[in-house]
This record gives sequence, C-alpha cells and structure tokens, in this order.
Amino acid sequence: MFKKVLGLISLAVLMIIAGCSSSESSSEGKASSENKNNVEVEELRIGVPSDVGPLNIYTGNMDWLTDLVYDKLFSPSPYVDEPQPWLAESAEQLDDTTWHVKIRSGIKWHDGEDFTAEDVKFTYEYYRDGPPNRHTHHVSEVPKVDTIEILEDGETLEFKCAYACPSMATITFADLPILPKHIWENVENPRKHTDLAIGTGPFKLTAYEPDQYYQFEANTDYFMGAPTVNKLSMPIIKDSTAMFNALTSGEIDTTTRTVPAELQETLQKTDSMKLASTSPLSIVQFGLNYEMKPFNSEEFRQAISLGIDRESIVSTVLLGQGRAGEKGYPHPDSPWTNPELSTPFNIEEANNMLDDLGYEDSNHDGYRETPEGKELKLDISVSSAEPLYIRTAEMLQTQMKEIGIQFEVKTMDPATYTAAVSEDDFESYVSLIGPHGVADPDQFIMSHRSSYLWTKDLPYPEMDELVSNWMNATTIEERKAISFDMQTLYNEQPTAIALYYPEEIYAYNADVYDQYVESLGFGIINKFSFLPEEAREVSSTTPVQLVE
Amino acid sequence: MKHLAKVKNKIGQYILVIFVTLTINFALPRLAPGDPLLYFFGETTINELTAEQKQEALHSLGLGGSLWEQYWTYLKGVFTLDFGTSIKYGVAVTEVLAERIPWTLLLVGTALILSLVIGVSAGAYSAWNRGKKRDLTILTGMLTLESIPGFWIGMMFLSIFAVQLGWFPTFGAVSMVQDGTTWGYIKDVVSHAILPVLTITLATVGSNYLLTRSSMLESLGQDYMTVAEAKGIKKRALVFKHALRNALLPIYTHFTLSVGTLLGGAVVIETVYSYPGIGRLLYESVTARDFPMLQGVFLLVTMGVILANLIADLTYPLFDPRVRNRKEEKGEEITHA
Repeated sequence: MFKKVLGLISLAVLMIIAGCSSSESSSEGKASSENKNNVEVEELRIGVPSDVGPLNIYTGNMDWLTDLVYDKLFSPSPYVDEPQPWLAESAEQLDDTTWHVKIRSGIKWHDGEDFTAEDVKFTYEYYRDGPPNRHTHHVSEVPKVDTIEILEDGETLEFKCAYACPSMATITFADLPILPKHIWENVENPRKHTDLAIGTGPFKLTAYEPDQYYQFEANTDYFMGAPTVNKLSMPIIKDSTAMFNALTSGEIDTTTRTVPAELQETLQKTDSMKLASTSPLSIVQFGLNYEMKPFNSEEFRQAISLGIDRESIVSTVLLGQGRAGEKGYPHPDSPWTNPELSTPFNIEEANNMLDDLGYEDSNHDGYRETPEGKELKLDISVSSAEPLYIRTAEMLQTQMKEIGIQFEVKTMDPATYTAAVSEDDFESYVSLIGPHGVADPDQFIMSHRSSYLWTKDLPYPEMDELVSNWMNATTIEERKAISFDMQTLYNEQPTAIALYYPEEIYAYNADVYDQYVESLGFGIINKFSFLPEEAREVSSTTPVQLVE
Repeated sequence: MKHLAKVKNKIGQYILVIFVTLTINFALPRLAPGDPLLYFFGETTINELTAEQKQEALHSLGLGGSLWEQYWTYLKGVFTLDFGTSIKYGVAVTEVLAERIPWTLLLVGTALILSLVIGVSAGAYSAWNRGKKRDLTILTGMLTLESIPGFWIGMMFLSIFAVQLGWFPTFGAVSMVQDGTTWGYIKDVVSHAILPVLTITLATVGSNYLLTRSSMLESLGQDYMTVAEAKGIKKRALVFKHALRNALLPIYTHFTLSVGTLLGGAVVIETVYSYPGIGRLLYESVTARDFPMLQGVFLLVTMGVILANLIADLTYPLFDPRVRNRKEEKGEEITHA
C-alpha cells in the first residue's frame, strides 16, 4: 500500500515535470528565431540587479535607466569632452553669466503633449527650489542659476547665473533630465509620486511591477530616429547566481550586472555569448574621517596613502579585473582629470613620515602608539552586502600592519553602514563612488562642501583659495587648469584614497542583438545602443571592446 | 459552559501577547541603526546631501515626527487596518501584502502539504518496517535531506533542471509575456512554482518523517498494539487506526506551528528563485528600512503564529480525547478543592 502511495506521488511529480518541459521549449524557440543581421529586433530581455522604482528621480536612481525615458538638453553626459545639443537645438554663451538655449520644436511627451520651453524652465526651477536629488546642485549651487526667462520667440531660454558659469552646456545641460511640466506641477510630494515616468526619451515605460520587472516600448516618433529594438523587457533579478543562470538558460539576453571573474571563462565558451569590457568610471575608495584624530593630519593621511599596495589588491581581490588606483582621485578616464596625478606605493617613506609625526611603537607589539603614548586602533567600516569591499578592507588591514598602524574591519548591514557614514560615525570605510562623483568636475567642488571629501566650515586655506580662483575663472580652459591643481593638492593629502578603478564585464547573447556601443560611464546598456547610427555618432559613443 | 470560560481566558491571554508583539514590531526595526535614505538616494548621492536635506527627506517620507507620535499613528492604524504607506513602494502596505500573500501561500502551502503527506506516509512505513533494509534506506535518505541546507538544494535544482536541462524557468512567479489564455497562465504559474515547491518540500520533509517515525515507533510498542494484533485486526487498520492515530499528536503540533510560519514565506528559497513572496518582501524591506512595510509583514507573521497556536490550543481536546478527559478531570479536582 505505502509503496503504491509513494509510487503515485513520484509519478505525479514526474508527469508535471514532463508537462512543463514541453511547454517551455516551444516558447524559447520563438524568441531565438528572431533576427540575425537585421537591425530591427522585436524584443530584448535585459536582467537588472536592482529595483529603483517607477523611474521617479526623487525616489530611485539608475542613470542609464532614467535616460531611456528622459532626455537632457545636451547629450550624452558631463563625462565626455564635448557633449552635443540634444533636446536643445543650440546653445550660446553671451557673457560670463548668460546663456541662450534654443530648444528643438515638434517633440512630444510620451502622453502626446507638446514639449515646450516652459517644460525646461519649470524643470530647472523645480530642481533649484524644490527638494534635493542627485541632480539639483547643478542649478542651485555649482553653478547657481539666478533667473530663467523664455524669450519672445517662445523657443529660446535665457539662463542667468549668480557667478561665471562657463560649463553650463558641458555639465549642467548634459546632466539634468527634463521633466514634463503638465505632470510635475501637480505632484504634491515628489518622494511619494508613483506614476510611471513620462518623458521624451526613446522608450516609453509601459509597465513596472515592484521587485519583478520593467517593460518599455519603443517611442517610434523619437526625434533622433526610431529605436532599433521594439520592446525592452527587464526582469529584476537581485541574486547574482540567479542572474547568470537566467542568462545561460537563455531567459534573458544580457544583464547590467558585471560578470564575476570566476564566471568569465564559462560564459566565453558558451556559443553566441560575447563578453565586453567597459570602464564604469567609478572608484573603490578608502575614506578617512578627516575630522578626527589621527586622520585630521594631512601628513598622516598621506602616509596611509603611501602605505597601500594597490596593485596587490587588484590581483588578489579582483583577480586582475580592474586597475590599481595609482593615478589617484578622480577617475583617470575622465577628460576633467589631471593626467599627471600619481599616488605611489612607498612603505619606507610612509614609515618615515609616521616616525616624524611621533607615532612610534614604544611597547614593541608591532603597532605604533599615538604621540601621547596611547594605543592606536582604527576601524574600517564596510557594508556586508559587498564581499569584494570586505576583502579589500581585510587586505588594507594587513597592509597597514606593515607601516605599524592597527586597523580592524567592521562589517555591518548596508543601511547601518550608510547611516554610520552619513552621520559621521566612522573612522574609515571602503566603498564605491560612481561617475557623478568622480568624473564630473563641478561635483568635485560640491564634494568639498557636502562633508564627503571636506566640510564647508572646516578651514582648508589652500583649497579655499583654489576654489575661489575657480569661481572667478570665466572660461572652461581656465577652470580646467585650476581643477587640475585642486586634484594635485587633493591627492597629496587625500580624504578618500583611490584604491582601484573597477572594470565591468558585460555578457550578451550576440545572436539576439549585437549592436551595442559603449557610452563612457554607462557601460554598453545605454540608450545609444538602441538608437540608429546618426544618434550614436553625436553622442561620443565608442565601439564595444570585446574580451578575447 | 466551562469550555467557553476557558476559551475566553485563552483569548484574553492572546490579546496581551498581541499587544506586546505589536509594540516589539514597532520598536525593533527602529532600534536597528540606519534609515530609508540609502534606498532613496543611493550610496553616491547620500554622501552629497547636507544634514538639513536629509531631515527634509525623512520628513517628506512621514518619518519626521517623534517616536511617540509615530507609535500612536501605528497603533491607531492597526485597529483600523491602515498600516500606512510603504516608503519603498509608495502604495498602501496592505496593497503590497495582498499582492504577495497568494504567491507565498501557493509556494509554502503546497510544499507544507506535500511535505506532510510524504513525511508522514514514509515515516509510518519506515516505523512499520523498522530495522529492515527499506527502513534503513529511507532513514538514511531522509537524514541526508534533513542535513542539506534548502538554498543549496535550490541552487542545484536550478543549475540542473533550469539551466542544463532547460525544463523550468530560473526566476520569478510568472513570465513577463503571457499568451493570454487561462490555461497558458496556469501552466506558466505551475512551471515557475515546481522547483521552489520541491525545494521547500525536500528541505522540510525530513523533520516530518523523523517525527512520525519516532512517534509511530513509540505507539507500536504499546500494549494495545499487541492486543489489537492478537484480535486479528488487519494490517492496514492496525497501522492507520491504532498506531498512526495515536502517534499523530506531536505531528499535529508540528504541523500547526509550521502553518503559523507559512505567512512568513520562505526568505531564502524565495530569494534563490527570485520569487515575489512575503519572505523576499521582508528581506527587501529590512534592507530598505521601510518601517511601515516591516511593521505590516511582522504583524502578518506574528498574527499567523499566534492564530495557529490558538487553533492548536483550542483543537487539541477535540483532536485527542485523552487531553480533553485529563483536563476535565483536573478541572473538576480543582473545583472540588
């Protein structure tokens, strides 16, 4: 009897398995039989590792995703040498503080309303006067836009800045997504706004299911040409293993999650799979609490920087997938970064500096004590969600022992970690800073005011002088030269030390779609990868670099 | 009458428990360091915000008032079934819960029943054949299963049945694209659910089996079994009516308790399969420090456990006459004294 029961159960299970397998294989056949050599693709499935909400820039941020739906006046981003007019038809600087921008006509929002100069004026004023998000300081502080007027022709806007603003076109215009006035003027609390985003961009967001997926449809009337892909489906898969399982089984065609070093070989052997290497314009940094002892000493910070063997972190932790942070902060690939920067590794000099500062190992336990003779033990805070940073912190701990400084790794859950760092309740930390932080020159100034790299009220005469020179400079060239000096000064006494520049590897099924391009700082999944040739050309995109 | 009074007494106790739980549910998430700002701004932007900007943001998320104010709003909300708005999802907490509960019920409910049926039948079978080769084979198998962590079974299943063989999808509860027919939808849901259900079943079947087996062995050794066997009762009736029924009490307890945790979902398995159930919701809400959502999920889970306990408490006597009689005897003794 029992045998029968067990037998029946297993039979039932087998039947269900068999039933489902047949239905699955038939649906897969449909997807892969689509195009080859044909630019038009019906559907592309991109796995995304996190959920940033219905693309409301006040509640979540993932720039490449926001960019699919929204456009900016200039394109592609502030991270390239010369961004080009996009929603703007042209822009002209009249004097140090005045800009005229003429917008393109005939563009429509995804809901059919006309895009007008009113939308641009509204957006910029909203960013300037409304609640903060990652874009707002570009109009409210660096630079500071005083007035925005629409001229008589109805298509030209006049921006007047509080002080010289030579980089409006290259930075501000290239960074701020334009919002539709007719929707946003009625939004009561932007942080609780959950309607699907409406933009002018190449894709319309048609569905969003929290923690499950995004769906986009091509905006066939797009002013830079109809997208090459009709539909983008983006399941949200948070777990890394699950993501690459889905890629290998063919349920998704590509993912924005970087391929872990240990998976590269396997994926490369898979037919139809191509791997592309990109520079994400980000830095993994060793942040120091410059307001507390001993990090408030610039020599001490310099000694720490000298004592770090960045090369060995890259080869051990990243298995070589990345570059050692020997060219300092900000990111060396940004056109705004001084190419002469260098942060050498020199244990001897580090030791000498610490000796000179009076940090000596008087009790011979292998670690230096403070000049007052007290024990010196410092924490490295790190988020438990980032195994690579934990390992990096552990290596730092070992390396710092070489120069006699005792560090201890303190791992905490992500929200606790962020709270600790943002409330100044830390001694040092290891974390990542993205393109906006390390490739945007205006942000470098902001970071020195916001407490990230420095705090407004703390004296820093050399930097203050450079900043005031910078504010008075009226051309981009002058400003760039001063920025370079600031960066040199910064790297001599860094408050966040560049450890390495990560590299990102994208894997994609080339049989389904093979028209990707790289947009600096955004990888290969960016809106230009899905736009016709002309649009890619004006946006400084580069061909995909395949991993051999 | 007496039974009714006892029920009332029990309910009184439970109300106290619920009140304490409600308070803990409110306090615990807030005791943990951190706030929802990370979710809103991301690691890069949060470093750029000033303290005033952060305060302003918290305020606009409804987390500005004092703790007492927040606690009062929360308590009021519980009794009017208004748990507030989720910070992360921006919609009512109840709405998010209502969306997730069916998925978890489907997954964990099915697995619970499968695990019970398989575990109990295999346990009974094993006990009846104690010491024989088939008993040892099943026992070894079940012990092995019991000691393998569920997430590992899940990862193996995915890699074999979903990636290598391609029989099942690797993530989610439904496909993003549907063919539009009801039958197609059902097939889609079933094919997404099979691997996670099997995983949870395998991960839990061991305990059901071991419990049944040992409980059965105990009742098989009782004198009444010998008597029953001597009376010439058929084997089937012996096993089901005499042995298994007597052995069922601990299994029933175990089962009701697991029904209580049912609503908590299966955090790990739901994560491995990217399944949109309550367990994953809980995990997401913890990382985002979505306080209202956390309160909602915790409340649901604790209510589930309390309710299951209450039901177990109240139904024991109906289920097992021995408990009923003993209690009644005791009660009488006390009143006599």
